[in-house]
Amino acid sequence: MQTASAPQLGLDFCGLSFATPLVLLSGCVGFGEEYTRVQGFSHREVGAVCLKGTTLAPRLGNAPHRLCETPGGLLNAIGLQNPGVDAVIRDILPRLDFSETRFIANVSGSTVEEYAEVTRRFDDSPVDAIEINISCPNVKAGGVAFGNDVRMSAQVVAACRRATKKPLITKLSPNQTDIAANARACLEAGSDAFSVINTLMGMAIDIERRVPVLGNNQGGLSGPAIKPIALLKVHQVYQVCKAHGVPIIGQGGITSSEDALEFLIAGASALGIGTALFYDPLICGKINRGIADYLRRHGLDRIDPLIGSLRLHGEFTGDSCDQ
Amino acid sequence: MRPNSHRGTIFLEEGEILQRTAYEGEQYLLRLRAPACAKAARPGQFIHLRCQEALPLRRPLSILRAQADWIELLFRAVGRGTRALARQPVGARLSLLGPIGQPFQLPSSEKPVLLIGGGIGIPPLVFAAQILHRRNHGRVFAAFGSEIPFPFAPKPAEFLVSGLPPDVIAAMPLLEDWGIPNRLASQQGYPGCFSGYVTDLARRWLQSLEPTAAAQTEILACGPQPMLAAAADLARAFGCACQVSLEAFMACGVGGCAGCAVDVHTAQGLARKRVCVDGPVFDAHQIF
Ligand SMILES: Cc1cc2nc3c(=O)[nH]c(=O)nc-3n(C[C@H](O)[C@H](O)[C@H](O)COP(=O)(O)OP(=O)(O)OC[C@H]3O[C@@H](n4cnc5c(N)ncnc54)[C@H](O)[C@@H]3O)c2cc1C
Ligand SMILES: Cc1cc2nc3c(=O)[nH]c(=O)nc-3n(C[C@H](O)[C@H](O)[C@H](O)COP(=O)(O)O)c2cc1C
Ligand code: FES
Repeated sequence: MQTASAPQLGLDFCGLSFATPLVLLSGCVGFGEEYTRVQGFSHREVGAVCLKGTTLAPRLGNAPHRLCETPGGLLNAIGLQNPGVDAVIRDILPRLDFSETRFIANVSGSTVEEYAEVTRRFDDSPVDAIEINISCPNVKAGGVAFGNDVRMSAQVVAACRRATKKPLITKLSPNQTDIAANARACLEAGSDAFSVINTLMGMAIDIERRVPVLGNNQGGLSGPAIKPIALLKVHQVYQVCKAHGVPIIGQGGITSSEDALEFLIAGASALGIGTALFYDPLICGKINRGIADYLRRHGLDRIDPLIGSLRLHGEFTGDSCDQ
Repeated sequence: MRPNSHRGTIFLEEGEILQRTAYEGEQYLLRLRAPACAKAARPGQFIHLRCQEALPLRRPLSILRAQADWIELLFRAVGRGTRALARQPVGARLSLLGPIGQPFQLPSSEKPVLLIGGGIGIPPLVFAAQILHRRNHGRVFAAFGSEIPFPFAPKPAEFLVSGLPPDVIAAMPLLEDWGIPNRLASQQGYPGCFSGYVTDLARRWLQSLEPTAAAQTEILACGPQPMLAAAADLARAFGCACQVSLEAFMACGVGGCAGCAVDVHTAQGLARKRVCVDGPVFDAHQIF
């Protein structure tokens, strides 16, 4: 039987009100306005939009090719092309319509100081929150080099924490042995939330020419191919976060409301949509409707009771190898 | 807040295949019902098309022409996506996004226009020819080249073009119907075709003009990279403007991923711009 009132999809995320649990992911939607080109697309269907990774100085990014489709996924090596934090604040933020959704800056750097400085500049801007990307696989210095080292990760988080009072989201790398230990260190260093996961490092080879397809040789794998990995990582980080009420933006291969629900049940509070937009730019409305239908079918009026509601078979050991 | 004028300019449609024609060399002409896209389309723009359900990433294909509620595409099956597309039957519905990108800037009727198309780069120039014909532009010449059989039956040209060897008579029927003088080039010895590069055919035409008219000419070109570079050189030699349409691997097709960036030499120095929304048409002198 259907309940009379429509289920509530909105949520409070670190004090920010999200209209729905969906978050458009960094690097997939440029600096926020790009998808509004598509007739019928609306930022009101998502809780937040993460802007493209931003550094202190402008970056040209990597040489072509920057993309390669793989079975169930996509390899990318953009190389953090961006006009630099000052240009983003001066030229881009004033064009964004903050009445439609929340906008989250995505910060990258090659040194701890650069992360902190970019964060400081965004602190003094209209962005609603700051996501620090310590997991970019496509730049030589910084990025994943920080994200795969627990001590360095915590240092970056602590430095950014000192630079802002805005909600601070740490984007964790799946390219590391113990994501839970890293999450614990970042949490202690002052992270308010986590994004789990960034892309996995991968490669594709042109067999005729015997060269890597990507100009950067390697790239980050996203899309449905990484979903099972992302789900497990979200659940591992959730084990660390749940006692502290720290929310997770679960992401990696979500292309349907069923995928989204899996992430909620695994422990995510919000759901990142990236590669799926390339497949269907109007996917967010469909995922919202699918989540609402599910809530109705299960007699729920909001998503909260679903978050982390996974009922495990026995105890969760986190890191066991069960081949 | 300054609202962006680009909002709502690209349509997502389920394009039904209305017609499908196969040509030699794995080339196909598809007519798709896509009313919103057809209405807005301009020469040089493209659609981002899902070739098959099992291959979710879209493929960019130029709009060959748009009329009433349909658009036409001309493509060559070269890989997984385009081969799957070639197998789609009439009646199939394919998700498409379009029209996308900066179109060719079509010059006013005082300026001569030279259209140079190579292989699967011919489609956007056919569209440009159609619009120039509708505008009664009287000074257009189209040079199309291919190293595989042309995806149409060439016919002897009705319109005389000075500066060409007398045996170069093969022309594209559609452009002939529109009254647009045109000739074909190939190195394969196809009957009636100019034997050589399409840019050499184009050079002959430019040489036949008064130098002032040649310098006023606007070149529009689409085709393989070396052909575009030769077109840019030609423009430089005659002192004329040149627009080129580029290709790049794409994911989003709407400016979101920066996956399709190319090097552009601007007054401020090297920039990387997106082929999908900053292009695909660029000023040749900023590229080559
Ligand atoms: C703006 C634009 C307009 C185009 N117009 C036409 C047209 O009218 N007719 C036509 O036949 N072709 C056109 N192309 C090229 C066409 O997009 C490619 O041939 C096609 O994407 C190849 O896909 P595939 O899966 O068959 O090949 P694969 O080689 O299997 O493709 C693998 C990946 O590489 C990408 N890729 C490979 N070659 C190209 C290429 N040349 N350009 C862009 N991406 C490529 C594919 O999109 C895919 O993601 C155009 C390209 C662009 C960018
Ligand atoms: C083309 C592309 C560019 C990306 N750029 C960034 C970036 O600049 N910063 C970042 O934190 N993540 C970046 N990512 C990672 C995504 O934000 C996301 O974490 C990842 O793609 C997994 O989600 P998905 O499978 O839904 O795409 C990028 C991903 C893609 C596909
Ligand atoms: S294909 Fe994504 S920006 Fe051009």
